[in-house]
Amino acid sequence: MTNERTVEMNVNGRDYSLRCEPRRLLSEALREDCRLTGTHVGCEQGSCGACTVIVDGRAQRSCLMLAVQADGSNIETIEGVGADSETGHPVQIAMHQAHGLQCGFCTAGIVMSLVHAHRNGISRQDVTKEVLNGHLCRCTGYVNIRQAIDAAWVELEDNK
Amino acid sequence: MKDLNLYTGKRIARRNDGSFLHGSGQYTDDLDPADMLHAAIVRSPVANGTLIGFDVADVPSTATVLGPDELAEHVVGDLPVVWKLEGQWQERTPLLDTHLRYVGQPIGIVVAASRALAEDAAEKVILDIVDLPIVVDALEALAPDAPLLYPDSNSNVLAAFEAGDTEDHIEEVFAAADRTLLTTIHIGRVHGVPMENRGLVVVPSPSGSLIITTSTQTAHAVRDVVCEVLGKRQNAVRVVAPDVGGGFGLKDHGYEDEIMTVIAAVVIGRPVKWIEDRNESFLTTTHARDEVHEVEVAFDFDGKLRGLRVDAVRNAGARFSIFGGGPLFAAFGVLPGPYKWDAIRGYGRLVATNTMSTGAYRGFGQTQAALVRERAVDLVAEALGRDPIDLRVQNMIRPEELPYGTRTFIEYDSGDYQSAALRAAELIMEPAWPEDGKVRGVGYCCYVQMTGIGNSDTNRAIGLDIGGFETADVRLEPDGTVCVATGVSPHGQGLETTIPQLVADELGVNIDDVQLIWGDTETTPYSAYGTAASRSIALGGGSAVLASQKVAEQIRQVAGTMLEASPDDIRLTDGAATVAGTNVSVLIREVAKRASQGFGMPEGVGPGLHARHAYDPPNATFSYATHACRVAVDVATGEVVVEDYVVVNDCGVMVNPTIIEGQIHGGVAQGLGAALMEEVLYDNNGQPLSSTMLDYQVPVSASIPDIRIEHMETPSPFTPGGMKGMGEGGTNGAYACVVNAVMAALPDADNSTLHTPLTPARVWEAAQKRKQLD
Repeated sequence: MTNERTVEMNVNGRDYSLRCEPRRLLSEALREDCRLTGTHVGCEQGSCGACTVIVDGRAQRSCLMLAVQADGSNIETIEGVGADSETGHPVQIAMHQAHGLQCGFCTAGIVMSLVHAHRNGISRQDVTKEVLNGHLCRCTGYVNIRQAIDAAWVELEDNK
Repeated sequence: MKDLNLYTGKRIARRNDGSFLHGSGQYTDDLDPADMLHAAIVRSPVANGTLIGFDVADVPSTATVLGPDELAEHVVGDLPVVWKLEGQWQERTPLLDTHLRYVGQPIGIVVAASRALAEDAAEKVILDIVDLPIVVDALEALAPDAPLLYPDSNSNVLAAFEAGDTEDHIEEVFAAADRTLLTTIHIGRVHGVPMENRGLVVVPSPSGSLIITTSTQTAHAVRDVVCEVLGKRQNAVRVVAPDVGGGFGLKDHGYEDEIMTVIAAVVIGRPVKWIEDRNESFLTTTHARDEVHEVEVAFDFDGKLRGLRVDAVRNAGARFSIFGGGPLFAAFGVLPGPYKWDAIRGYGRLVATNTMSTGAYRGFGQTQAALVRERAVDLVAEALGRDPIDLRVQNMIRPEELPYGTRTFIEYDSGDYQSAALRAAELIMEPAWPEDGKVRGVGYCCYVQMTGIGNSDTNRAIGLDIGGFETADVRLEPDGTVCVATGVSPHGQGLETTIPQLVADELGVNIDDVQLIWGDTETTPYSAYGTAASRSIALGGGSAVLASQKVAEQIRQVAGTMLEASPDDIRLTDGAATVAGTNVSVLIREVAKRASQGFGMPEGVGPGLHARHAYDPPNATFSYATHACRVAVDVATGEVVVEDYVVVNDCGVMVNPTIIEGQIHGGVAQGLGAALMEEVLYDNNGQPLSSTMLDYQVPVSASIPDIRIEHMETPSPFTPGGMKGMGEGGTNGAYACVVNAVMAALPDADNSTLHTPLTPARVWEAAQKRKQLD
């Protein structure tokens, strides 16, 4: 490509140097250039939330961001969550135990948003009433995801 | 017979969650074989027209274009319509057609080094199209002067059929009844919206064989259609379903654009990937419903339901999808629901229009049947001033009357419909209603769901040209671990957990030693359905139980020889074969090793421990439930909030209640969505108005209340293991339940016609328009 740019980013603790067209989406760069396919693309317009990742500490839809905008960023994807623990992040554990996923396609994005909220001490009520409404899931009817949130937030709120 | 029940019925957490929670799932778009190219599809921009030119002069040379002429060189057959109703003339549809009948119809394919470049190149293809007059609405398409989708035909009716009682009989019943009521129900067009769009990766080999990895519910059916259209030999085409991000009936067959991708890979001789985007999905992945039902119900003043007569028109879209008019046929079959009627009659017409085809979607017509019947029953209750549950229970088939043959030639198996209804009514009334100025209503839906459909000869008798059996292949490896190959194909339903639960109990082994193999035509038995139609646990599970029982008998035989005991005395538990009443035992893995060696095999057993069973069920299984919900309606804005939701459900023996509840939750969400917000719309020129997730609203978490579920458990008299299917039940119940609740909240609203979804605008309008008094 004639107009490719260099994009340097750190994903899950590893440095990447990519050559990307300016129009390349962050979701595409993560999936195809970094080969981190755990981030899923459901709509490419920011409405479904499946592609959510954490960019410099903020939960972001990676389909609404260009890869070049992420130049110099620290990014965390589903592959990096709970990787330092044998049992996984409390959100991952709770999602499993509450049967909070079925086909699994939206799961990565939901886990990323919940992990971000969990780390930032966002209240259980705000997570359930606000954060979760930013994601579409077609299998679970959200009921068990809310159960998972309740479970994952118990410890967090007990420690307050 | 299993000797111990360690797993069946237990809330075992799903065994395959880890890969999804850690990002290591393998969906179709995650594949990246060497030398792969990417495809984009050239589609019709018009809803009706004749293609007279396909100009590729401006397409850059870096892209390969296969237009209609190039594609046609590889096509030897058509896509089949496997459900053939009486009077149906369209039994197959062509891959390619110069008559463009809907926006999005695939015309050609462009292949390049990346998807972006393929899309750029596809935009350079210039289509020359002669416009034709357009008809979008099915009722308008029935008008004598409507444009004809198929000019060789004399109308847009693709099929017309009758179901249930004769015209004479229904007339007699209606004439004898005390009273009749009429209502018209418009059932909006919906889209299943799986979170993962369709897509496939085709890897050709120089020998001419193909590996097709595709987001499908049914790998074998995809292979069927690819081979039929392209004239390939089935043993040279391997179709694999990897992790699949939801299907809901939409991914139950191979599509035209997918077959074009196969052709492109064959022509170019390199792997080709095509991944549908969300816009394409809304345009060209099968829609559902879009029906108008004229409903007439006859009843007596004492509340006895007498007759139900339905004249239904379903918008089939531009051409039949694979299951043709099947959903409307199925709707009429289950129209009676849990009630006793003197007469039921359906008349159905499938009408072609310049829209995307309507096809299978969770419920497959049974959702619409529930709405039609349950609305009619509510209207009767209202006319008689009766409590809606009281009237329902009065008319229900009693447990001692089962098995019960309906007026629509279906035989219900087992259950207690009244108890479910009464319990749901009790539960929904428990919490006090808030007092905040909103109006509230409670709605009900009682249904009997046909699940686990078969057997094969029944399919044939009703015009369904595919078998109704499922097959399982169970084998012990030499180390005693178990492989279960099944034709069903999980994509969220948890069969990777539930089928091993059943098998582990039959064989007396640890569930961790049981692996399910699915979704691969090379390694699994043929299945016409894969996972669809609420069949997987009844038939996939049932066949796994039967094959496991054969293997268990082989284990007992070999163990009997090893222990010098009668096989009849051998018990299989905890990974060991034990002589009953003794501590004499041998580990099952030792038995497996012995059988793999073939040393000293008893007469007629082995070498090896391996059995296959094709289970063709004697009858379908019939789950049932009562759904009850409470809604709050803001009459000033038309906004509806579903505040409380109760399900009393019976799907026979439960293998894993947690997974069953998850299926109910998701089904309720989809039924609620169709009741209140989801609708595919076209303008009068056939241009789609709902082609993104912002225009087509699916429920978010805030739309769905917590759902209180209680279980009943009446075993299926047929299924080995006693299970009945249930995957679609939540949708079937929720749609009518929510609609009935909204109408109950607006007792003065005109209910002579109804149009779903009940969007705020429609609710507001209904609240303004008072019903005409008699």
